[in-house]
Amino acid sequence: MRRYWTRGLAFRLSALVLTATGIVLVGIVLATYFLAREALLHNVESNARNQAQSLVFRIEAVLAPIPRVAQGVAYELESGSLSDEDIRLRQRRVLADNEAIYGMAVAFEPYARHPEELYYAPYIFRSPLGPKASNLGGTDYRYHGMDWYQIPRELDKIVWSEPYYDEGGGNSLMTTCSVPFHRMEDGQRRVLGVVTADVSLEWLKRLVAGISVLDTGYAYLITRNGTYVTHPAPGVAYHESIFSRAEEKGDLDLRRLGQDMVRGGSKFVPTTSLHTGKPGFLVYAPLPSVGWSLGVFYPRDELLTDVNRLALVSAALGGGGFLALAVLVAFIARGITRPLRRLTTAARAVAGGNLEAPLPQQHGRDEVAELAASFGHMQSSLRDYIRDLTSATASRERMESELRIAHDIQMGILPKIFPPFPDRTEIDLFASLSPAREVGGDFYDFFPCGENQFCFLVGDVSGKGVPAAFYMAVAKTLIKAVAESSRAAAQRSSDSKRDGDPDAQARGMAARRGADPGRILTRASNDLAQDNESCMFVTIFCAVLDMRTGEVRYASAGHNPPVLVRASGAPEYIPTRQEPVAGAMEGVEYTTDTLTLAPGDLMLLYTDGVTEAMNPALELYGEARLLNRAAALAAADTKDLCARLSEDVHAFADGAEQSDDITLLALRFRGPGANAG
Amino acid sequence: MDFTQTKDGPFLVLQVSGRMDTITAPEFEAQCAACLDAGEKRLVVDLSGLDYISSAGLRSILSAAKKLKAQSGDIAFCALSGIVAEVFAVSGFNKLLPVFATRQEALARA
Repeated sequence: MRRYWTRGLAFRLSALVLTATGIVLVGIVLATYFLAREALLHNVESNARNQAQSLVFRIEAVLAPIPRVAQGVAYELESGSLSDEDIRLRQRRVLADNEAIYGMAVAFEPYARHPEELYYAPYIFRSPLGPKASNLGGTDYRYHGMDWYQIPRELDKIVWSEPYYDEGGGNSLMTTCSVPFHRMEDGQRRVLGVVTADVSLEWLKRLVAGISVLDTGYAYLITRNGTYVTHPAPGVAYHESIFSRAEEKGDLDLRRLGQDMVRGGSKFVPTTSLHTGKPGFLVYAPLPSVGWSLGVFYPRDELLTDVNRLALVSAALGGGGFLALAVLVAFIARGITRPLRRLTTAARAVAGGNLEAPLPQQHGRDEVAELAASFGHMQSSLRDYIRDLTSATASRERMESELRIAHDIQMGILPKIFPPFPDRTEIDLFASLSPAREVGGDFYDFFPCGENQFCFLVGDVSGKGVPAAFYMAVAKTLIKAVAESSRAAAQRSSDSKRDGDPDAQARGMAARRGADPGRILTRASNDLAQDNESCMFVTIFCAVLDMRTGEVRYASAGHNPPVLVRASGAPEYIPTRQEPVAGAMEGVEYTTDTLTLAPGDLMLLYTDGVTEAMNPALELYGEARLLNRAAALAAADTKDLCARLSEDVHAFADGAEQSDDITLLALRFRGPGANAG
Repeated sequence: MDFTQTKDGPFLVLQVSGRMDTITAPEFEAQCAACLDAGEKRLVVDLSGLDYISSAGLRSILSAAKKLKAQSGDIAFCALSGIVAEVFAVSGFNKLLPVFATRQEALARA
């Protein structure tokens, strides 16, 4: 059954149609067969009766006249006008006129014709040489006691004898019709004698035996006593009667049948043939003149031969028609599914990547055509989509390649040479930056700003990606420019007005101290806040180290407090004043604070990408962890420290996506070196 | 984010609740712009219902404040809590814009 569902539409369509048609055809053939059979059997009776009746008429046609002929002779004898010679002549004429009569006798009562003759019975019969006259009666032929004489005489009516074999008549089966004739004696009619007509039954036997009833059907004749006159089985005729046969085989039905036939019944009954053993129908009718009965047996299966043949023919026709239909349906089904198959092929071509594959032309507006039309729409939509996707991908790839270049440019503007000043051994510095995307908003910077001054800073622009990168480039460049210009200005003023003036002295001192982080941030913030339509801002931690004294001046614009790991002592966070982010608004002033580094002390600057790094469990790296790790790694050199710390943050993130740039800048003060002034 | 407006004297109190991040931040700017269009120039923003703020949120606040300032209006914030208060402190927005502990204090200013 499963195979049915896996086959194609054409197959299923054909299978369904043919199954339905097959059932209908079979039904029709069966119904026709049964109906035809019933109709046939219905007709059998009337046909059989007709056939039997026509047979009866044929037989009667021969037998019926015979009693009349004999009666005619009897009347003539009764009129008393016939001489012996006349009788002979009459007999001759009868024989000449009636082919069926084999012989005729006129037998008289004892001494009735001639007073001295006991027996007087002139007889004529057909011999091979022609009609021959003779006389019956004698000591060896006492006819008065014979059936053919005695019975009609006693009954005084026309009697047909039982059939008998006549040795004199060439050993043929005969029957005799006896007609009594009378004279008036004492006012009463007395039998004078009997006229007999002998009829050969050979022709009858031949006739009845020759009746062909279908194939194994047959006809038979029985007498008044049931004795078979003819029978298809050899040796039955004359020797057996219907009753003796019925008795022998214990067939009660046959006995009843025989009784009815003998009674003169005429019926059509279903029965089983004793002779052939086949079931069938028997029709019987009486022969009125002779009192016999004719039976005709029709075997049922042969009756139905025609019907069966009809059924076979119609079955064959049906089968042939079915086969033709099968072929036709298969063609049609394939024809219907052909557009589908073509469409499937085209669809495969499209699915394989060929969006220009032509779809099969559809005729008409049926479901398949609609499917093809929809498919065509889908195909052109796909084409459009892929075209758009291709161009979007191309532009995205362009953008990505531009971003990669931008990344390189952005990384390029950050100082990357470590150590920055190999000849200045006072400091050990390392910085690293890993952006979350190709470009980002974090930055660091370091540069000398005075003979013994070293400026270092870290910044974080609000937001991510390209906007933050732009702002980052501007901010970093601006801060350095501000730092260098303020240092240069201070230097100039200190150079030009050195002596006497306390302000000048103060300015000079300031100049010698170099750039001031607070002032740097103030100026940078103002510059950034101008024309800041986007309202972006940046957090910065900016510091300046005096390499002779270890003094660090610093200022913070909303940035994370750096870690301070003293060589001797616990690590701590450098407190900030929580002054605002830079570039948000104009007019913000930043305060410079101071701390002093002893040799071996370490400062660690970072952005919130470190402390706010998140792992899949949504936990933050946090300030505490950073402090601990920094303390643990304090002994390492700054490059190592930055590397290991960076690793630690990535390990903590444990595969979670990096959401913010991670920036680290570590600076260790080694103490004043050989260049100390 | 959800916004509720209440008029209290010369001030329009804007109650904000939800999260202010990259996606929702523009809603705040739009609300303030609508208030400006309606002629309300003195805003008090109640952030007691705000659970979270990102740098994008800070930018929106800054932008709204600048727009009001340009129209001679002013804006004050009150009832900050939790992470929002922390962010305002660390970023120094406390010092950039007027921030009050309670609504009453914000409404009490001249």
